Amino acid sequence: MKSRLAATGVLVLAAWALPYGLGGYTVHVVNIALIYALLAIGMGLAMGVSGQINLAQVAFFGVGAYAVAILTTHYGHGFWFSALLAVLATVVVGLFVGVPALRMQSHYLGIVTLGLALGFINWITNADITGGADGISGIPVPALPGVDLSSEYLYYYLEALVFGLALLFGLFVVHTSLGRRLRAMRDDALAAGAMGAEIPFLRMTAFLLASLYGGLAGVLYAGLIRYVAPETFSIANMFILLAMVIIGGRRSLVGCVVGAIGLTMVREWLSDFSTYAQLGYGVVVVLMVVFAPTGLAGVPARLRTLYERRRRAQQSSRAELRPFIPYEVEDRSARDGVLLSVEGVTQQFRGLRALDEVTLTVRKGEIRGVVGPNGSGKTTLFNVISGFYRATAGTVGFAGSDTTTARPYTLSLAGLARTFQNLRLFGQLTVRENVLVALDRTRTHTIWQYALWQPGVLTRERRLRAQADDILRRYGLADFAEADPSSLPYGIQRRIEIARAMAARPRLLLLDEPAAGLNGGEVQQLIRIVRSIRDSGTTVILIEHNMGLVMSLCEKVTVLSSGRVIAEGTPQEVVSAPEVIEAYLGDSDLAELDLDTPPSAARPDRAKEATP
Amino acid sequence: MQDTLQTLVSGLSLGAVYALVAMGFSLVYRTMGLVNFAHADIAMIGAYAASTFYLTSHLPFAVAMGLAIVITGAIGLVIERVLRPLENKDFDLMLIGTIGFGIVLQALAIIIWGTTGRAVPSPLDSAPLDVLGIRIRTYDLLVMAVAALAVVALAFFLSRTKRGAAMQAVAMDHEAATAVGIDVGRSNALAFAIGAGLAALAGGLVGPMLYVDASLGGALGIKGFAAAMLGGFGSIHGAVVGGIAIGVLDSYAAGHFQGYSVLVTFLVFTIAIMIRPMGIFGERTVSRA
Repeated sequence: MKSRLAATGVLVLAAWALPYGLGGYTVHVVNIALIYALLAIGMGLAMGVSGQINLAQVAFFGVGAYAVAILTTHYGHGFWFSALLAVLATVVVGLFVGVPALRMQSHYLGIVTLGLALGFINWITNADITGGADGISGIPVPALPGVDLSSEYLYYYLEALVFGLALLFGLFVVHTSLGRRLRAMRDDALAAGAMGAEIPFLRMTAFLLASLYGGLAGVLYAGLIRYVAPETFSIANMFILLAMVIIGGRRSLVGCVVGAIGLTMVREWLSDFSTYAQLGYGVVVVLMVVFAPTGLAGVPARLRTLYERRRRAQQSSRAELRPFIPYEVEDRSARDGVLLSVEGVTQQFRGLRALDEVTLTVRKGEIRGVVGPNGSGKTTLFNVISGFYRATAGTVGFAGSDTTTARPYTLSLAGLARTFQNLRLFGQLTVRENVLVALDRTRTHTIWQYALWQPGVLTRERRLRAQADDILRRYGLADFAEADPSSLPYGIQRRIEIARAMAARPRLLLLDEPAAGLNGGEVQQLIRIVRSIRDSGTTVILIEHNMGLVMSLCEKVTVLSSGRVIAEGTPQEVVSAPEVIEAYLGDSDLAELDLDTPPSAARPDRAKEATP
Repeated sequence: MQDTLQTLVSGLSLGAVYALVAMGFSLVYRTMGLVNFAHADIAMIGAYAASTFYLTSHLPFAVAMGLAIVITGAIGLVIERVLRPLENKDFDLMLIGTIGFGIVLQALAIIIWGTTGRAVPSPLDSAPLDVLGIRIRTYDLLVMAVAALAVVALAFFLSRTKRGAAMQAVAMDHEAATAVGIDVGRSNALAFAIGAGLAALAGGLVGPMLYVDASLGGALGIKGFAAAMLGGFGSIHGAVVGGIAIGVLDSYAAGHFQGYSVLVTFLVFTIAIMIRPMGIFGERTVSRA
């Protein structure tokens, strides 16, 4: 921490002293570089942090710059007032461009945003108000009492100040609640939704942030150059910006800044060979994507892993999975009444009827097992209950309200949590952050705090962290708090998923094949964990193939076959029901139903993954 | 009425070109799940190559076109080989990788052919036909005919030949395809080469219709992508329908909104794709949350 503070101090001093050592032209280049760095931060926030492919960043830049130009030259407003309006206008445009993100992702979003950027370029090159291809000149010098901002040296300080604050704010966002949720959405939007992240709002937030930075950059550009023309905002520049972000490292804001400043310098240095320079960026982007997808920013981390791996080979790792500490038992009298009621639910996928008039009632405090052969609709049922699928017919009621059409995040907020058959941990987040995403129950609309009351965010952050550490300790995961989940053994990942789901303090927990891939000892631990979860007052429904586990854990079992409920009752009743034996074994032979199906039988099945 | 029909006709010929771009794009997408942003620039290289062979080497137009297709096919193979480690892994990275290739191809075009563009004369110099008062350029008819031929040939290849069937299998499940002994790498390479060839065909054909320069790819590509999306990603007949739709939309927008045609086209496109993100013939839903 101290060394980091010292490094920041040195950087600030260096930034302060920088113009003294530079010629006029170099300062100009530095000023341009800082503007690109702002743009790159915005791009990094949308693409690297939130996973929203945004190829309209250069248009946001343009909206900001042109708005200042038009407001000052056509309407005669002052620079600062225009700047404020320009940033607001850019944010509005950003939200508009972000709307398609609600309906489409990935390359679709890339093409739509690129198309809208082209539309913008088309407009500025043709409209009268934008001066057509000639652009707008004569933007006034920003007035600041006592400071002549027409001097590039002094303008540098203005820019450096804005840039410093913007970078700080960006880092603040990334490392606290909002950024964590954005990163969770990037890694796995489905799981993030199931943990209560309001995906639509978050996507809009990503575009809001990108356009905010784009607008700021545009305003600074207009004040610096005092002339705007379409070629600055071309698609070619969009791709250069993309190259900056990729080369620097899209997931790290500092990386984006390094990429932007570095590439602007290189571009200036090679300005006589601009075509060859362009060839160079292209090649570097391709090489980066193939060999170093995390960009320059990822290099230190890669070296560290390499070093640690070598060291670990010598000394055995001290980290271990510790035993689970049971929850305190809750008063049983609070358990009464129905928590979940599924009535006549049918789910149709084109020709396939995955669920056929399924009716199921789960009372508070129950541990309910859902079993059935592969393809019988168990996971589909979970997906309907947790809001991933909307039932074709029938109703789902949870905790007294009708949730048939509720979105996953609404259900999560109402007290429903789930795990996934194929483990959907947030791969780029640490184990602690995985838990924090679920733990954080504040809503996205509280992001006003980021603008107006940052200490509030920090206080909450500290509180959440302490709670997260409690949960990790309870699940015996404290040693892995900083680990990358994908580097951990399968059994531990399974436990992290349960810990993450329980961090949301749910009333109902859905476990989708929690014992899949676990060894005997781990299954015994799982049984203890699930019992304790129930005793703490959380109702549990679990899908499982491991009949031993189901028999010893569940009070009541529902058997599905071909999308229908074929039996329901205590485990003993269910195992002897002729329909069940037939569904499992066919009617040829009343061979003994295997009560301890080996865990390997419960293999994960990709086709049933929750991908609506 | 006459005006409307006239716009329709010019929209159709441009639409045929967009359809060719979209088809190559869709073919690559369905076989390897790769959105090839360099596709447009491959088309631009194709346009330049075809015009060079036609104008500078004085080869017949068809031969020039054939050579251009071979060259771009080779470029396609290179791109596929370099990005192969990312296939079926990180979608967004692959997409950015192809953007990188696009930047490279544009720079190469400028280095080879310079920054000034060139106008390519039509290889057919017969007078425009007059059908019910609508003037139809013979070259437009040629473009439509070639495009139609390409559609039929591609459909035949995919449904009736062994390699085509293998490609379909890879598209459906690349792991299962490997298991039954299909060389997925080679099948993808072939798909990429054919896609690039189709791009060159589009580029070569569009040469005499538009002005050929390094930014041609941008104009052609994004509309080709839009066409593929509108028709439904990965669907070949969707690409054709989408291409024609974008061509006609573009030509009406140019007629009614003059300078703002690009803006109008993309606004309409954005709204259309918001209403139906999977496109006209698309099957898979897009938003996965």
